[in-house]
Amino acid sequence: MSQKFERVQAGEKVFDWLLLLFSIGVLFEAYRIDGIPGLNSPGSFPVGLALVMLASSVVILISHRRKRRDPRIRNAFHEAQVFLYEHFQPHIVVFTFLAVAYLAAIVWASFYISTYIFLAVTFIYFRQGKVVSSLIISAAAIAVIYALFTLVFRVYLP
Amino acid sequence: MFKPLLTSLAIAVGSMAMAGSVLAEYPERNIQATIQWGAGGATDNVARSLTPHVEDILDTTMVLTNRPGGTGVIGMNHVMRQRADGYNLLYGAENPQLYPLMGLADFSYDDMHTVNIIGQGLVVIAAPADSPFDSLAELLEHAQENPGELRMGGTGAGGLPSTVLAMVNAVDELDVRNVTFGGDGPGITAMLGGHIDFMPLSLAAVGEQIRSGKMKGLAVLTKEEIDALPGVPPITEALPDIESFLPWGPFWGVFVNQDTPDDIKATLEETYEQAVANEEFGDFMQNFGAEVLNLNGEEAEQYLDNWQSVTAWAMYEADAETLEATPEELGIPRP
Amino acid sequence: MSDTFSYLLMAWLDPQLLLLTALGTLAGIYVGAIPGLSVTMAASILISFTFSWDINNALALMVGIYVGGVYGGSRTAILLNIPGAPSAVVTAFDGYPLAQRGEAGRAIGLSTVMSVIGGLLGTLVLAGSAPFLADMALEFAPRDYFLIAVLGLLLVSTLSGKSLARGIFSVALGSTIGLVGMDMVTAQPRLTMGSMELMGGIHYVVVMIGLFGVAEAFYQLHNLTKVPVKQKVDKIIPPLSMVLKYLPLSIRTSIIGVIVGALPGTGGDIASLFAYDHAKRTVKTPSSPFGEGAYEGLVAPETANNAAVGGAYVPMLTLGMPGDAVTAVIIGALVIHGLNPGPMLMIETPHIFWFTVGNLALANIFLLIFGLTGIKVFSKVVEVPKALLIPLILVLCVVGTYSINSNMTEVYWMLGFGILGYWLKVFGFQMGPVILGVILGPLLDETYRQAMSSVGDSGGQFLLALVTNPLSLVLTAVIALVLLGQTPAKTWLKSRFQRN
Repeated sequence: MSQKFERVQAGEKVFDWLLLLFSIGVLFEAYRIDGIPGLNSPGSFPVGLALVMLASSVVILISHRRKRRDPRIRNAFHEAQVFLYEHFQPHIVVFTFLAVAYLAAIVWASFYISTYIFLAVTFIYFRQGKVVSSLIISAAAIAVIYALFTLVFRVYLP
Repeated sequence: MFKPLLTSLAIAVGSMAMAGSVLAEYPERNIQATIQWGAGGATDNVARSLTPHVEDILDTTMVLTNRPGGTGVIGMNHVMRQRADGYNLLYGAENPQLYPLMGLADFSYDDMHTVNIIGQGLVVIAAPADSPFDSLAELLEHAQENPGELRMGGTGAGGLPSTVLAMVNAVDELDVRNVTFGGDGPGITAMLGGHIDFMPLSLAAVGEQIRSGKMKGLAVLTKEEIDALPGVPPITEALPDIESFLPWGPFWGVFVNQDTPDDIKATLEETYEQAVANEEFGDFMQNFGAEVLNLNGEEAEQYLDNWQSVTAWAMYEADAETLEATPEELGIPRP
Repeated sequence: MSDTFSYLLMAWLDPQLLLLTALGTLAGIYVGAIPGLSVTMAASILISFTFSWDINNALALMVGIYVGGVYGGSRTAILLNIPGAPSAVVTAFDGYPLAQRGEAGRAIGLSTVMSVIGGLLGTLVLAGSAPFLADMALEFAPRDYFLIAVLGLLLVSTLSGKSLARGIFSVALGSTIGLVGMDMVTAQPRLTMGSMELMGGIHYVVVMIGLFGVAEAFYQLHNLTKVPVKQKVDKIIPPLSMVLKYLPLSIRTSIIGVIVGALPGTGGDIASLFAYDHAKRTVKTPSSPFGEGAYEGLVAPETANNAAVGGAYVPMLTLGMPGDAVTAVIIGALVIHGLNPGPMLMIETPHIFWFTVGNLALANIFLLIFGLTGIKVFSKVVEVPKALLIPLILVLCVVGTYSINSNMTEVYWMLGFGILGYWLKVFGFQMGPVILGVILGPLLDETYRQAMSSVGDSGGQFLLALVTNPLSLVLTAVIALVLLGQTPAKTWLKSRFQRN
């Protein structure tokens, strides 16, 4: 476990630079509240927190100097390849896409229909077939959700 | 073989859900009600006591959520941003009528539909039980000798304490440190611990503590002593000039989005009129030293306008500099 | 006196009350365990069904839900590393490693027994010291709340994760998310980037479901094809020797739990954190290193968060002040039933107090029964293949988020936080500090400004108050010690000490 942390993962430096940029963005937003804040003003905490984030992200970046890149990674281009391979595997990308499509569909296709389609499609995709059982399980899941949330908890679903 | 069956099942379930939303009569599901002040405060107490009677009449469940902060702007803003389908109500206090004046928000109750003005309360200036002051006069004297030393509990700009402070400042001088809490409830806790020196509170929130001796009442915002708090002097004893603003007090009401369909507005108005008239609720209000108003429609609008004009002009006379706009600019007529 | 006893035993003898407490406890366990369904939500929805009931029936159901719900969060924390409630965040630190080691049954059994011990001790303390603790809670000034929040955040950033800088970044990030929205004092928009949607702030449950539910679902996609580690859940009932071994620790952490629970605003989440830290500092030879499946790391938070339930009732029954969101709902029920929650409650209606004490004890007995018997059924959830589980988790996250405010925008936010959480997780950031930041950040800001206003906005006066008031001094000293422990000064002091 500790070994893994001493090595920089693929894409880690880029991510930590992004955190630094994010902190600067937050600092800018916090500054817009009331300029340079006093001891007790709406902006004092946001600005303070942004500075803490900025400082800690700088520390994280500095700590990379002491870490080595995974020896198996040869250069920046190879690192990008490893990164894409690790985090953009087809099934992750497809699931993300389905999840976003599902959330978009809820609004115009109603909750239960879009949930049923989402569950059925992801089940079939993840289990590579098994169409009939996937459809049955999705239907059962919908029934349980309906019973629990709509009937018992009386939660309104779109 | 199963597939078409299941697909048709899914479609059936879906269309049932959709048909349901068209056919059913309001209310066909839980109603969300937002309380713009925190738990344990006066608005909270009134809302939570009234709601069960409303639920009985509507035969539904109301989910009450406290959304305190920003002098109630956060809660009111939340309700105004929800769909105008009558499933989101606001339990509010008097503060929104001062939002434009204080520059807190560009909306007020004029931008919502008033379902009911439930009632109005009295204000008492309370202090911890071991406070060195026994009356408002003593407190004022101390504050004038040591300006900016006393800690007053507040609920944010435009909250009841700051309004009362403005009235006092309109006729006298009171320079204090303003410690802001999320509502009456946390303010009372802080006062019980002696972390603030005094706080103007609605009698509904604090009457019980004063009667049980956990706190002291320094003055009631009335012209005469009241039955609910024997022994607590009227504010006019220390500040005779404040009489011109009296009678004054906070009020509580129920509001709904302006664009709500008319039939739902009518259902709600009818329901609340019936619920507020409930005897049990009337007893509760009396115990809390509050008066039931039960106003809707034209009467409610009139009440709101009148309250706004009296308070806005009082604050304008007290300290015009802290206001973001003058009542005149906002078109608030002089009382 | 005999009256007191009859009220204490009321819930035990009346079959209807017995049934309601049992139902409440069972429902609470499952509601608490489902991520996204919170005890607060269940309590506030269920309470409305009870308005027409007798006050005792309503209170019995609520007590059951509360006790069961606080415990239920630990189930999924152990089995899935997804805490069902904030108070179970810490439970996952050691609970999940235990489950991975194949000791899920033992972990659940131990956490059940310890929760019951904590719950019963909490009830005992409530009965014995309600007036005393209530007086003490009053002594806490805004600056003390501020110090407690600072301490909580400091602890969570140093306790979890391998790198302090990452811990601090996570806490600051969480607090920043918590501050989005209108300022409490001036109602100015803060960090909203001009968006009206964000004026009301970001609900912490939205962030929580995103970070714990969706991020975990995405993370698990990496091992989709791997056969899930079958969590063995045999040997549920822990041997007596084991319970006895951890009894001293559980008594200590129960006391921490009650005290923290009795403070208005702080509940099981902070109590469990404090208890975990206490265990980490006092137990020199844990069964495994902390964070890798130490039984001590499970016992401490689980006793503390259930003991905090008893604690939360203290301010509620003595002052009418809610100790947390659930007791706020219960206060609503008291008012609705014509009772005056407040100082007069214990004078005018002492039976409500004694009934609640007896009822809390009863709910803990049911917790023991249901906690030790239902586990097999429950843990089947874990054996469901990931291919089925992951899409279902996403659907539950959507339902849970939507039901907070019936607002689709919040569901989109939830997904956004899920994706953010995934990347944070990948690069060694912990979710616990972020979520505690979201919850405590606003409290930090609020109490800091109250404390500042109290001393007339003078920084010097503020610092002076921190060391002149005994309570604040203790808290400041503890914070200083924790800070010192993170610097090289610790090793230096240690070496000096050892040389002498």
